[in-house]
Amino acid sequence: MTTAGEPVIQAQGLTKRYGRRVALTDCTLDIPPGRVVGLVGPNGAGKTTLLQLAVGMLSPTEGSVTVLGGRPGDGPEQLAKVGFVAQDAPTYANLSVKDHLRFGARTNPGWDQTLADARIAELGLDPSQKAGRLSGGQRAQLALTMAVAKRPELLILDEPVASLDPIARREFLRGLMAHTAEHRSSVILSSHLVSDLERVCDYVIVLTDSRVRVAGDIDELMGSHYRLTGARRDAADLPAGAEAIEHSHTERQSTFIVRSLVPIEDPSLTVEQLTLEDLVLAYLSRSVAAHRPELETAR
Amino acid sequence: MIWFTWRQFRTPAVVAAGALAALAVVLLVSRGTITDLYASVAACQSDCGNAIDAFLTRFYNSAGGTVYYTTLAIMYAAPPLIGIFWGAPLVARELEAGTHRLAWNQSITRTRWLATKLALVGAATAAATGLLSWAVTAWASRVDSAAADRITPLVFGARGIVPIAYAVFAFTLGVTAGMLVRRTVPAMAATLGVYTALVAAMPLWLRTHLAPATHETPPLDMGNLDALMIDRSGGMAIEPNDVANAWTITNQPITAAGQVFTGPADTTRCGPDMPNGSCAEWVGSLGLRQNVVYHPDSQYWTLQLAETALFLGLAAALAIVSFWWLRRRLS
Repeated sequence: MTTAGEPVIQAQGLTKRYGRRVALTDCTLDIPPGRVVGLVGPNGAGKTTLLQLAVGMLSPTEGSVTVLGGRPGDGPEQLAKVGFVAQDAPTYANLSVKDHLRFGARTNPGWDQTLADARIAELGLDPSQKAGRLSGGQRAQLALTMAVAKRPELLILDEPVASLDPIARREFLRGLMAHTAEHRSSVILSSHLVSDLERVCDYVIVLTDSRVRVAGDIDELMGSHYRLTGARRDAADLPAGAEAIEHSHTERQSTFIVRSLVPIEDPSLTVEQLTLEDLVLAYLSRSVAAHRPELETAR
Repeated sequence: MIWFTWRQFRTPAVVAAGALAALAVVLLVSRGTITDLYASVAACQSDCGNAIDAFLTRFYNSAGGTVYYTTLAIMYAAPPLIGIFWGAPLVARELEAGTHRLAWNQSITRTRWLATKLALVGAATAAATGLLSWAVTAWASRVDSAAADRITPLVFGARGIVPIAYAVFAFTLGVTAGMLVRRTVPAMAATLGVYTALVAAMPLWLRTHLAPATHETPPLDMGNLDALMIDRSGGMAIEPNDVANAWTITNQPITAAGQVFTGPADTTRCGPDMPNGSCAEWVGSLGLRQNVVYHPDSQYWTLQLAETALFLGLAAALAIVSFWWLRRRLS
């Protein structure tokens, strides 16, 4: 179904403002198809805004976004291509699990009843149970079932595991992985915890203070970021092509996290691989560092 | 979407159907009272005024009278209740619970989502109030024709097709308020406030402009006065009776110059010590006229149709606002 090579999300200078408050600033993205994309950032960074722009729940203040080649939320065909589970997985409290599935079946032309029934059975949910009586984890699973049973090309999940306990969280992510492996749909999921995404994602977007800090294939990012440790020095003295993302210094020693497209071969530096968490944290703390001087001058 | 709207609306629909059925039983049972009491009027051949008055007095004092006033209250309460309990939560509750995020991400546009809800619940609103008004109007038809008051404000709004338009308007008002306010309870309050203000404004200021009123200035009929009052300083207030079988807007005594007559009273003819009738005789000799403005009963359907069109038009305008808001602002 997915046209080979067509980006799932393409954003150009995408900006969303609520009055004077900026929720997303100048976001430019080009997400290739067939990926499981993790959108990471602290609470209030703009993750929900970006995802809601992608499903057409919000419209941009400036810039543009296309999803699978179409305008988000524009007509039934576009809606059928994207499955969305909103934050807190909203469901109709006084309607049963079965009612929800029937709602999905009657409003989605590509609805896969076999898949829906199988998932509900596998989860051990009682179809006649009211959604309001389900646990948080079960409700999230019901919302996910509705989203996957419409057989979308792209599945967008906003903080799907935030309200779940660790066991439910692991089960949810496992179920999601099994599904994506089987149906080869693209997935974007957001979280404020890197550990949630580490095991399931192969592409990551780091968002803080309404801006995209880094976006890319996780393997490529891991292969181009290093931790360098050596005798105390300035960032300017790093080998050519190495861009310092984060640096810390003791009296005699300097530690850098750098981005470099070429391998670092400097005998005076110890080169270490990073974990995804280190990498994400480096970008998060860089944005904080970048803001600090402004605050001080403002004072 | 039709099935889903019905599924969400099922419980309120059953409640409304139950209430209608209960009322139907009451009306069927009490219909006998009217028929029995009306027998004397039906048998009357000529000069039936007394028979009609007797019928009305006995009816209002019977159990039928209680039913009559209760149905009057129900007719006025039903439209705002529908606006509050069917209209206001229709969208507001989804926005409050966040379930619009689930609904709007199925493969149907949000325009169709709203259109289905409005059409289905709106149709139920019209059907329920239509049935209610038909039943009450039919049940009360003999009383209304005997009292000749179906065009007077209190009865007018509780008969015929106007209640349907009131209800459809109240429903659409509730939906729109819910969308703008995004919270159910404040939307309910706003619906009640706006609806009450507008429906109260109709008989007070607006309805009389929907059809040309009849304006007459006959000589003052001293035999048809409701009140003749004199205050200590000799000022007079004369109130002629309302025009029969009509909705009286104004009915005042005026002088030949066209001013409203307010005295002064001739103290040699009027006062507590004067013989009975001497004051009335004096007033009758002044050559006063009556300034009467009224809507005769023959304008009943003209006014019903005009007011129905007005409220349905308002409902349509609100629906347009709600669709515009859904597309432009709820994002």
